[in-house]
Amino acid sequence: MLSATDISVSFGKRPVLNSVCFTANAGELHAIVGPNGSGKTTLLRAMTGDLTATGQTLINGTDIADLSPAELAQRRAVLPQSGNIAFPFTVLELVRLGLHAGMPSRAGFDPNLPQKALTRVGLAGFEGRFVQDLSGGERQRVQLARVLVQIWEPVLNGAPRWLFLDEPVSALDIGHQLIVMQLARDYAEAGGGVVAVMHDLNLTAMFADRITLLNAGHVRATGRPDEVLTDGDLSACYGCALRTNTPPPFGGKWILPQAIANRTHVGA
Amino acid sequence: MTVLSEPDFTPLAGDRRNKARAIRVGLIGVLIVAMLLALGWGAAGDTDVIGALLAGLGVGEVSARDMTIVWDIRMPRVATGALVGAALAVSGAVLQGLFRNPLADPGLVGVSAGAGFGAVAAIVLGGFLPLAIREFAGPYLIVGAAFIGGWATTLILYQVATRRGRTTVATMLLAGIALAAITGAVTGLIVYWSTDDQLRDLTFWGMGSVAGATWAKLITAGPVIAIALISAPFLSRGLDALALGEAVAAHMGINVQRMKRLSIMSVAASVGAAVAITGGIGFVGIVVPHLLRLVQGPEHRSLLPNCALLGAIVLLLADMVSRTVVAPAELPIGIVTAMIGGPFFLWILLKNRTMLEG
Ligand SMILES: Nc1ncnc2c1ncn2[C@@H]1O[C@H](COP(=O)(O)OP(=O)(O)OP(=O)(O)O)[C@@H](O)[C@H]1O
Ligand SMILES: [Mg+2]
Repeated sequence: MLSATDISVSFGKRPVLNSVCFTANAGELHAIVGPNGSGKTTLLRAMTGDLTATGQTLINGTDIADLSPAELAQRRAVLPQSGNIAFPFTVLELVRLGLHAGMPSRAGFDPNLPQKALTRVGLAGFEGRFVQDLSGGERQRVQLARVLVQIWEPVLNGAPRWLFLDEPVSALDIGHQLIVMQLARDYAEAGGGVVAVMHDLNLTAMFADRITLLNAGHVRATGRPDEVLTDGDLSACYGCALRTNTPPPFGGKWILPQAIANRTHVGA
Repeated sequence: MTVLSEPDFTPLAGDRRNKARAIRVGLIGVLIVAMLLALGWGAAGDTDVIGALLAGLGVGEVSARDMTIVWDIRMPRVATGALVGAALAVSGAVLQGLFRNPLADPGLVGVSAGAGFGAVAAIVLGGFLPLAIREFAGPYLIVGAAFIGGWATTLILYQVATRRGRTTVATMLLAGIALAAITGAVTGLIVYWSTDDQLRDLTFWGMGSVAGATWAKLITAGPVIAIALISAPFLSRGLDALALGEAVAAHMGINVQRMKRLSIMSVAASVGAAVAITGGIGFVGIVVPHLLRLVQGPEHRSLLPNCALLGAIVLLLADMVSRTVVAPAELPIGIVTAMIGGPFFLWILLKNRTMLEG
């Protein structure tokens, strides 16, 4: 289990998170949603140990403050929202960097893991390309492959491992969005824990087991998708009229902006 | 109908480790040849170099003159050149990894100037130290002071040029210019207070030259450089991870603060010791890592050892050039490296212009 209690973060005098509590279970995909600037990335950074925040984060019962960087790296991996790379790595070299992260030795690793991870994110055959020459979406998937390689086994010595993903599909086309979300689900179903910051509410509704809706540094709602995705909370947080629906074959919530009611389809 | 091909699983695509290994073997060979060439290169002709080398190892015998030329005059110079070249190239690579920037060079960003300031201060002001300390520190005083000077400048540079784990090229180079100017000015001031004897030492030292190499000097600086070179590969995992940013390096299990402190110590030790015995020699630290990264990739585990080898080779060749072009006089080796390295640096700048302006 991952549990964060009373997380507060201020940058200068400006409070960004106010006593946020967050709990995620292993075996589940937990999405964090909320408008730009609501504190999603900040919450993720507090829980991964990037930021010193007041409050406490326990990962499988241990305070992250009591774990060394190497011990943390064996328990969780993080896909940041953005990043730049200082030197010209090939795709294979970059993904391979995740291979021994946090491990004392290089022994006992499957040398084909980087290629397996690349295949998983739809980049088989890209090993020899230079990362800086890739498209934005390809680069995002290369980074995801690196993160996967770091904690490939979702459960290690009986303890779940945690994937923290900050907007993993923001640069991806619809096909690759589905591939990456399915990959995150598979990781959770195999016993690991996944915490993903998301913007696409419908994709979130389709794939998440649990959702936390963040607004202005507070938790507005948290729970199962049908509990959190309500017209009132969504419209209030995002500042626009949103209506949820449950289309028949899916049965889950589907979110439609109401601006659509005032528009006629171009083809109609 | 289209035939779908299997995904390409050639195991070596994108893997440059074998290439790096082959390059290392080649460089070892070239280094041996370069050292033998450098040993045979000198004003005194018809010297039986191989014979003297073997005699030194207890095989056969040659004239006392040949023994002196090879073992007491040329050998310390060759060993100094190789060690200093290795130290400069490796410290350049570490500095570039630390700053996440291929344009960092100990000479360009003021680290050498800081080390030089330390060395000059030790030469001139060392006389004021209590006799006990002077006797205790002995010849290590200059190396130690150069190390402290280089370390302090690197530390200040890092504080000034890096914010939230990011270094902009402009800030780094400008801060380096400022630091070099400040340490240079204070160094000049100290030189004013020096005695005639000290002044001779300083001039000789300031030329950036391996001509004054002796076993005595090498014994003070050599071990420091050796320790820095041997320990540098332990930084490689951290430097690799740092290429993705400080936050990502921490995610990957690197103790970033400790790793940065160790990198700065390593750079200061290499540059400090190198500057203490040969003065400032520029551009080796930027040209060598850049060339190697181009052909074998940025992975530090294979980059750093190859930098040491190629750095040693480059400095030995530069030394041979410096002994030849204005023979029988000698050109300071710093002039030779700047003549080759300066245009090379401009070329890198041109190639990276878009990145730097962005
Ligand atoms: N290092 C920082 N210094 C100052 N303010 C910051 C810093 N990082 C974040 N903030 C501010 O904190 C607030 C929350 O930022 P955060 O990055 O957590 O938002 P977010 O919910 O992830 O937004 P987005 O959807 O745009 O990614 C924003 O107003 C941002 O400007
Ligand atoms: Mg964000």
